[in-house]
Amino acid sequence: MNKKFLALIPFLIFMLLCVFLYQGLFGNPRELQTGRIGQAMPSFTLPDLMDESKQWKNTDLLGDVYLLNVWGTWCPTCIAELGYLEQLREQGIRIIGLYYEQAYDPDFGDHFDITALREEVKTMLNRAGDPYQFNILDLERTLALDLGVSGAPETFLVNKEGKILLHHTGDINPRVWRAKFAPIIQELSE
Amino acid sequence: MRALMMVLAMAMSVALHAAEDKYEFSTPERAATFKELTHELRCPKCQNQNIADSDAIVAKDLRDKVVTLVHDGKSKQEVIDYMIDRYGYFVHYQPPVTPATIILWVLPILIVIIGFGFIIFRQKKASRKQDWNPDDEKKLAKLIAQYQRKEQQ
Repeated sequence: MNKKFLALIPFLIFMLLCVFLYQGLFGNPRELQTGRIGQAMPSFTLPDLMDESKQWKNTDLLGDVYLLNVWGTWCPTCIAELGYLEQLREQGIRIIGLYYEQAYDPDFGDHFDITALREEVKTMLNRAGDPYQFNILDLERTLALDLGVSGAPETFLVNKEGKILLHHTGDINPRVWRAKFAPIIQELSE
Repeated sequence: MRALMMVLAMAMSVALHAAEDKYEFSTPERAATFKELTHELRCPKCQNQNIADSDAIVAKDLRDKVVTLVHDGKSKQEVIDYMIDRYGYFVHYQPPVTPATIILWVLPILIVIIGFGFIIFRQKKASRKQDWNPDDEKKLAKLIAQYQRKEQQ
């Protein structure tokens, strides 16, 4: 009896390994637990995308639950989610854009023209849907770095007191919304 | 095809060195700290590249930030903490010891201990079985005698 049990051990280890590796098949390696969850929105002063004379501060955003959506016209997935985000806006969700620009960096773009960028953004938002209250332009990507942004699209859920509750990497679609965002928003509104 | 690959590989390594040499530091210690950091910090966008290796824009931003922090005289650990603060533990190749990760350190030691334990256990068991008693001696003598007779025939 004891011998038989010992002989089973390699098989049991093999089965455990199978379970572990099988789970790995469905994990998302891009799902990151970044450092900012549960902390306050970092302080910043950045211009509006459409009007540089308007400066936004982190304190301007307090008082309401909002989504901070990191996006750029160069990012196809960001464009794809605009339509759904617009639906969310119609449901009363406050969405603020954080414009993530690459071409401003000499290593990633040949030239940068703010007027052309504004035109492009306008055209894109007209065509694909405009979910934003306004857009913050983060040319140097300093706020992006402070938030632990690694690309676009990424979305943060921030509460009334300016605390970051959620950091989602990737697009927002109805499935993601139901699974990740809706329960927290539900809880906040209660 | 092979020649093309060679050229590509060479071009890539040149580009890599260029990326590292672009930054200048006041002291060799700071340059060394920068080099260590860019090899230890992991690009958050890529699955398995350090920030020295990656061409992603976020890797470049992190390199630039490391440069600024090192210029400001921040120590290696301070820079690592700064990055972990923003990008989480993923950004550093050395995972922290927490209840969830302790298994990474304990498991290899445990396997070695269990392995040695098993060997010792087996040896002891085997040596206990090999008790040599007068009965065995008689049996052996009998067997030898049998074979000797066979040979004589």
